[in-house]
Amino acid sequence: MLEKEVVQHRGFRNVEKDGEIIGFQVAIRQLGYRGAWLSQIRFDSVIVDGVEYREDVVTWTISGIEYTVEEMKTLGRVMWPLNETAILTVKKPGGLEQGEHEVQVITGHIASYIPPRMDTMYIEMAKRRPNTRKLIIV
Amino acid sequence: MTEEIRGPKRGVSTYSYVGELNTTMTLEDCFQDMSDMGAYGLEILADGIIEGYPIPTKEWLNNWFGLIAKYNIKPVEYGHWIESRLYADHELDVEESYEMLSHDIKLASYLGFSVMRTKLGVIDETLTPVKNWREIIKRALPLAEKYNVVMLPEIHAPTLLKDRMIEEYCEFIDKEQTKHFGFNIDFGVFQVRDGINVRAIPGWDPNRPTHSEPEDIIPLLPYVHCCHAKFYDMNENFEETTIPYDKIVPILKEHGWNGYLLSEYEGKNKDVPGYVTTQLRRHHVMLKRLLGH
Repeated sequence: MLEKEVVQHRGFRNVEKDGEIIGFQVAIRQLGYRGAWLSQIRFDSVIVDGVEYREDVVTWTISGIEYTVEEMKTLGRVMWPLNETAILTVKKPGGLEQGEHEVQVITGHIASYIPPRMDTMYIEMAKRRPNTRKLIIV
Repeated sequence: MTEEIRGPKRGVSTYSYVGELNTTMTLEDCFQDMSDMGAYGLEILADGIIEGYPIPTKEWLNNWFGLIAKYNIKPVEYGHWIESRLYADHELDVEESYEMLSHDIKLASYLGFSVMRTKLGVIDETLTPVKNWREIIKRALPLAEKYNVVMLPEIHAPTLLKDRMIEEYCEFIDKEQTKHFGFNIDFGVFQVRDGINVRAIPGWDPNRPTHSEPEDIIPLLPYVHCCHAKFYDMNENFEETTIPYDKIVPILKEHGWNGYLLSEYEGKNKDVPGYVTTQLRRHHVMLKRLLGH
């Protein structure tokens, strides 16, 4: 089962490669009632303790497969399932310090049955409804 | 399964459980709830319910067919979408739309559904469908016939039942003489208070009515195969406080309409455990009283 909030406790960790910490990960869920085709996702940023991380340093892992945000834009038949988290991996040499962090993820996705006017409003709406949570790196 | 009653029948859309599914409820919990209420007709929203969608996993399929049998649930409506704005650089053409649609027709039929809530892409604030909707639907009619499903756009507020778009759908159905395309009417179109705030929509005509009248559905009934029994607020006296069910349901009965009313809860506290099931049970007390079964 998932936690109710967008940002999940489980999945928050530093990422190690060849003995070095190269970044961190945070898992998010969707609050809607549908899965999302990857091409309809509109990612903005991961914000940790006020520092913004954008698509140049963030990848998405969906059902075990890692994608750049650029790759996702063309993938109209791959779905982020509603009952799974997406794992966002942020490149940050050294990772995050041990202890508590304020974590927020700003992302949305568009839907064709909603008036087109709304396509550009999702990110603004996401910013107005902060999903910040306090999570702990061990 | 017992002989089906002719006339309006009761069911539930899994949409109602959106705030609890995957966190505090499973699909089986929904079926248990429906079984308790004697509401045996089911709508699923395909891409949010079917694990592995668009290709279901074997495990999910086994679970699905097992649950249908165990709880005596009738798969009624399969909700799906044609994502015309799937890509940022172009709107889907007829063939691309058909590719999505044809997959859903086959999958819906395989899962036991005969009605599809086919959500088309829209181009404006009153939810006018994409310009090529006729070509897309016409392209799919032979397949819908082969798999014995009917495709229904959902008529949803702020659309009015007297809007030109509804006439255009009817003209299309008459011209094609098809039984495989029609309407799902969402009862939100009859909502008299606490509805969509149309005044907040840019360019909204202040003289346009905010809702349709219950009797506006009468001429459309031959084309209506399913209804979203949308509801927002059931009080302790088993009354819906925003939509005139006491007028709508008798019209459906009197005109011999035969189909499912699928409860769709759109009110507050969806994610408070137990809140939605209370609202649904009140809704079905009301429907059972109005229908007599």
